[in-house]
Amino acid sequence: MFENFLIREDSLRNDEVDGDVVGFRLAVRNANYRGVFLSLHNGYFLEVDGVSYPRDVQTFEINGREPRTFSELRGQVWEHWDYDDEGVLHVAAPGGLAPGVHTVRFQQSVLAAYGYQPTDEEWVANPPVPGTGAGSEKAPEIVVHTLELTAEKETV
Amino acid sequence: MAIKRGVSFYSYQQSQFFRELDLESQIREVGEALPDADGVEIVDEMSLRYPDPGDEFVARWFDWMDRYGTTPVTMDVCMDVLQFRDHVMTYEECADRLRRDIRLAERLGFRNVRVLSVVPLEVMLSALPLAEELDVRLGKEIHQPMPLEGRQVTEIVEHVERTGTRHLGIVPDFGIFGWRPSEVQLAWFERRGASPAATAAAVELAELLRAGKAPVGAVDMSFSTAGNLRVDVKRFLTTGEVDPAFADTFRGVKAFTESRVDDPAEIDHTVVFEALMLSNTSGDTLRELVPHVVSVHGKFNNMSEIPGRPGQYQDIAIDYDTAISALVAGGYDGYVNSEYEGQRYFQDRGRAELADEVEQVRRHQEMLRRLTAA
Repeated sequence: MFENFLIREDSLRNDEVDGDVVGFRLAVRNANYRGVFLSLHNGYFLEVDGVSYPRDVQTFEINGREPRTFSELRGQVWEHWDYDDEGVLHVAAPGGLAPGVHTVRFQQSVLAAYGYQPTDEEWVANPPVPGTGAGSEKAPEIVVHTLELTAEKETV
Repeated sequence: MAIKRGVSFYSYQQSQFFRELDLESQIREVGEALPDADGVEIVDEMSLRYPDPGDEFVARWFDWMDRYGTTPVTMDVCMDVLQFRDHVMTYEECADRLRRDIRLAERLGFRNVRVLSVVPLEVMLSALPLAEELDVRLGKEIHQPMPLEGRQVTEIVEHVERTGTRHLGIVPDFGIFGWRPSEVQLAWFERRGASPAATAAAVELAELLRAGKAPVGAVDMSFSTAGNLRVDVKRFLTTGEVDPAFADTFRGVKAFTESRVDDPAEIDHTVVFEALMLSNTSGDTLRELVPHVVSVHGKFNNMSEIPGRPGQYQDIAIDYDTAISALVAGGYDGYVNSEYEGQRYFQDRGRAELADEVEQVRRHQEMLRRLTAA
């Protein structure tokens, strides 16, 4: 659901800390008709211009908190990502992205489901890696977005 | 008493996503734009700051109900068994979540709570004493491809007959009266590469299944959900693996597609499998079950104008005549709430091509008004 609209079009920007570009960011929504407990949010498949940015370089900013890693989010079992709210996906990539247009391949993984599933125990032990399609029932395809880097940088 | 009408705000999921309609605007639409409709149904995790919307919100909520002349009818709740991530939730943990949701529903004035079709009866029974105490009715959704004739329904009826509880029942989703895949779903499949021969085969197979003349084995869908079944189909088409109980049927559908489509691609097979997602349930069963009906999801995917009848609308893929006649004949006096789901079949294109949820719901209400008055 909403696959073509999960990333806000003007949200691709470089992230800056103390004058250094440390990575980039995208503003994203939840691919569902409802919010979810934050613990279920399992990260992203993300490839920009053919370069892959796996979950261990991703952090997620939501609910007015500093960006958190997906291992931290996994423990937020009572905090909710409400349906109306946009989150910010930060990616550690020293130097950030070059100015201009970028090709972004993107898939969100959220372990929300209709009741018990045959995969439940497996996903407790080994959560699916985003991009495999597993854990992405509401957004089953990797979607290609063409996005222009907004020139102004954001301070993290 | 007559059938009452309302709207499930699930219908407005896309308008809310794009911030075109906030919660108050959705309530206003029901109260001011839909003649004689007053029912409000929400999905808690869609419409609310969850799990605690706060006292200020609750006060505002009741102000809106007064201002727009609307009534909270049913709150739809969810169950994500991986919430704790370090273990799969037990039935008792699921029941704890349901109890919190029942309290939330009661706080907002809802009289009914809908649980998902796959929630085990044990979870509902564990929460039932609280529901009785707060006078909230618990209803299990019966959603395609489940029929009303399966175990999911009979186990509830048996419990009610044994104990006499008035707080347990079912929420039929009228997708169970679907008799062919929706034309908007088929068009969506074709834009993604399915051949017109395959979408025609999906309709043909649905008609054969309905008539009991399909060249594929019957299969009990009583415990299936469409989403989970689609995952099974995908696995079957890519690996050939299939649950033995479904094997004959799945192979039969595949052979049917091969007989109708030259050199079918995976998506051609996938679309024909949609014919299996239909419940082919009976109006007679619904009429007999009316005393157990807590609330109804008036599911639809596309309301189009009836040829030659300007201003009158229908969903060509769902047999509403049978469904509404059964409710009337059974003496149903609860709510039927419009639940539009076809917006997802337009989201593969741009903003300009998105469906108009508000207009679709208005058309559905026209149909309900006409059929319930007949």
